[in-house]
Amino acid sequence: MSGNGVNRRDFLKILGWSGVGVAVAGCDRPTTVTLEEGKEEVVAYLQPEEYVIPGVGVWFASTCQQCAAGCGVHGRVREGRVLKMEGNPDSSINYGKLCQMGQAGLQGHYNPDRIKKPLLRKGGSLTEVTWEEALGALEQKVGAASGLAGDRFAWFTGTVSGHQSVLLSAHLAALGSQHHFVHEVINNAVGRAVNLDMLGEAMPRYRLDEAKVILSFGSDFLGAGISPVYFSTAYAKFRTGSPRGVLIQVEPKMTLTGGNADLWVPIRPGTEGAFALGIANQLLKQGVDAAGVPENIRALIASHDAEKVASITGSSADRLARIATLLKERSPSLVLAGASVEGHAHGYSAAAAVMMLNMLLGNVGKTIVAGGSSPFPQMEAKMGGTRDLIAFADAADKKNLDVVFFYGANPVYTAPSHLGLTEKLKNIPFKVAFSNFPDETALSADLVLPVLSPYEDWGTHMGIYQPEQKVVSIQQPLMEPLYPNKGFGDLLLAFLKMRKVKEYESFTDYYSYLKNAFTALPATVKGGALTNDEFWGKTLQKGLLEVPTVVGTLKPRLVEINLPEYKEDAQRPFHLVPSGRLGLWDGRHANLPWLQEAPDQISKIVWTSWAEIHPATAARLGVEQGDFLRITSDQGALEAQVYIHKGIHIDAIAVPMGQGHEEYGRYAKGRGVNPLKIISPGADARTGELALYGTRVTAAAAGRREFLVKLSSNETQLGRKMVATVTADVFNRAEPKTIT
Amino acid sequence: MSGGYCFLFRQASSVAPVPVTWAHRGRGVHYFVTPLLSRVITFALVLASLLVLALPAWAENGATTKGVPNVVPPKGEHAGKHVEQPIEFPHDIHTKVNGINCMYCHTYARRSKVAGIPPTSKCMGCHSMIATDKPRIKQLTEYWEKREPVKWKKVHDVPDFVHFTHEKHLKRFVFDNEGMSVDRVSEVCAFCHGDLKQMTVANKVKPLNMGFCVRCHEANKGPFDCWKCHK
Repeated sequence: MSGNGVNRRDFLKILGWSGVGVAVAGCDRPTTVTLEEGKEEVVAYLQPEEYVIPGVGVWFASTCQQCAAGCGVHGRVREGRVLKMEGNPDSSINYGKLCQMGQAGLQGHYNPDRIKKPLLRKGGSLTEVTWEEALGALEQKVGAASGLAGDRFAWFTGTVSGHQSVLLSAHLAALGSQHHFVHEVINNAVGRAVNLDMLGEAMPRYRLDEAKVILSFGSDFLGAGISPVYFSTAYAKFRTGSPRGVLIQVEPKMTLTGGNADLWVPIRPGTEGAFALGIANQLLKQGVDAAGVPENIRALIASHDAEKVASITGSSADRLARIATLLKERSPSLVLAGASVEGHAHGYSAAAAVMMLNMLLGNVGKTIVAGGSSPFPQMEAKMGGTRDLIAFADAADKKNLDVVFFYGANPVYTAPSHLGLTEKLKNIPFKVAFSNFPDETALSADLVLPVLSPYEDWGTHMGIYQPEQKVVSIQQPLMEPLYPNKGFGDLLLAFLKMRKVKEYESFTDYYSYLKNAFTALPATVKGGALTNDEFWGKTLQKGLLEVPTVVGTLKPRLVEINLPEYKEDAQRPFHLVPSGRLGLWDGRHANLPWLQEAPDQISKIVWTSWAEIHPATAARLGVEQGDFLRITSDQGALEAQVYIHKGIHIDAIAVPMGQGHEEYGRYAKGRGVNPLKIISPGADARTGELALYGTRVTAAAAGRREFLVKLSSNETQLGRKMVATVTADVFNRAEPKTIT
Repeated sequence: MSGGYCFLFRQASSVAPVPVTWAHRGRGVHYFVTPLLSRVITFALVLASLLVLALPAWAENGATTKGVPNVVPPKGEHAGKHVEQPIEFPHDIHTKVNGINCMYCHTYARRSKVAGIPPTSKCMGCHSMIATDKPRIKQLTEYWEKREPVKWKKVHDVPDFVHFTHEKHLKRFVFDNEGMSVDRVSEVCAFCHGDLKQMTVANKVKPLNMGFCVRCHEANKGPFDCWKCHK
């Protein structure tokens, strides 16, 4: 300060006067927040509901829409505004708990970037229009007079379920189209295919609570999994049982689940199948009965001895043997496969090798049991993956589509560059996006219909994973719409009325359709002698309807396993890991400031992307934390700040999904990078799902550096015993055989 | 209206969400009344309160005010300005002439942190029959028939960083106050709001600043932790 000729006293004077300046300038600004009497308005209810007391919250039950898990929620409503979300204790998915994404959903509802009016492309740019004009334009293209029919029309959605799914299917049927593309980046599509082939059921029930040890190959069931809150509850039971369950996580990059594991094993990406076969090899050596295993698979197992597997995977032979011993001795166990196993060209085979371990260990029927099925298959969640994204890009490329409706998906953002979707979309003459936000897909559409937020709309949902009790979860409006837009269900009905007037004319709105559907249910589902209104009121109050669940039986059988030899790539020595996380998810929550602000569970970084590398890798590349790293694949390059962490394999570079939006409002736009864009072409041989973890990259310092904003800037405890530790030796003396 | 207060005026209709009962969430009060039963209860309460309130009001008009027992009233004055309201609501006619208890209309005061402005439906409960020929009532009826809420001007307020609750103050000064009668609640209201019996529309006559609060908390041994009010 003194160097600039300003001493402390002067500085304070300047500060003081500038403060006065600001205060004086502030006087001119009109204000609505004041204590002066007669300035603010206070508006009373005209005729309140009987239960309303200003200042006291009223809770309404609804369903969370932040991911496809379908957790039951309660929303606190005060003075007509929804203020807080909590879990619905009656839900058999989340048992009254709710994750950070569920909590942050309110910021989507109150988001300043919400689209307030329909947008229609006129002369190249999207222009605000009235709903009459928007629906008029839509009727021209898809109404009965348009002549549109058959597979020239398509719906492209995220996971949909409940009555919206029923109406959506009816709409497709009315147009005679088969095209319903369902797309989710974070999915278990390969795992479902493996389960269906090997167990006879796509979504069996995983009894985490019954298992004494869990060996998880990259299954982030606590984080970016199929139903994070459900599995967190199950995991708590697993951990608090007696003896306390042991979790071993094998994966290239430490996930939230990996961070919770007793033993975390880094593995070279793409070699998980070999690791599983190595464990099988050890199990057979230790005398596990393999009578049912066919000769070819037995030979495959025999070829994966500990030394070979150790060299392929980058793990140690000794460790394989110890994990196998633990699995064998602590029965029943549970072996799971996740995204990092499935996301390769041989993902199906690798996941099948993992599932085979469950069979060898006798877990099927103990920790993997049959799940239930409901009497309403048409309402069950239609789950997607990335295969439909490829198929959609292909259909667009071949100019096979005239009209596409997008709902609950943002393919322009999530599609890898090699699909060339942005270009191919130009082949579709009329694209309609049902979106609340100016995301990448909405802004490339020809018509944007802003639907009501999940907190303003009616609906029903079935969670993607409901292995115990099937429930139809109700979505109720928690407040009046902020903007005079239309509900998704109401729009679906309107589209159906364009084609099938007679069948749907009796339903004045989606609410009446839902009420009618529920009251028409058979007495076996309704239960008790209730009038229709009583039953409907009771169901809305509870927020869900438990439906009879029939538990089937599993039919285990082994499948062919074809694992390629692992090959080094001298030109591109690193593997790109596009990690998902509970928070921004696949990027859909990047516009919620709370989730941007909530630190990543492992790196503690906020508001941006990063490239996570091992300290040894950092030394090899000559970079330090905060340096920008240029990561190049055969599809392009991106730059992200280095974050150095031991929880990653030395050959892997992890860049989290979720950032790098080119649009999507003020909080998401232009922030970080999107690793999905540089994913190399390639898909799982069996299922056709994108090989998201199969990209090889090079990395080099980009030559610039910035301060990396993160919580907990230091990885050590600086000698303070904040978390006391003992050596494995001391620990094993107290509790033998727990640490391998 | 978008983004403003339009959703405050939800009207009862068949397309309405149904709240969960309060059982799961401990607010201390559990309401388990069916709509029909609650209507019966409301009707009975209105009848009873009119009977009960009318009697002491006669007595009170004649008797001299004895002061609220066990309380040192807060000290402080504020020269509030007259606030123009959409309808010049006469507090004096309702409280002094007709002897209606404050809590008959400001029914939320004893149940919530806010006293609440009475809903228009409450006004119309009486004024669909009483004094219908008066210009102010005609104005009110016009609002009611247009289904438009009255936008009153706020007179009494504390900053958002102050947590003030009417419920707790009424509990201390009225309901848990030995020797204090609910019929004389207006004297307690007057601590902070002045004597509404002498006003038409409300006028701010107490400072309602921190000194005013603290002096009263000191004199009456109210809680003194910062976080009691600044949560």
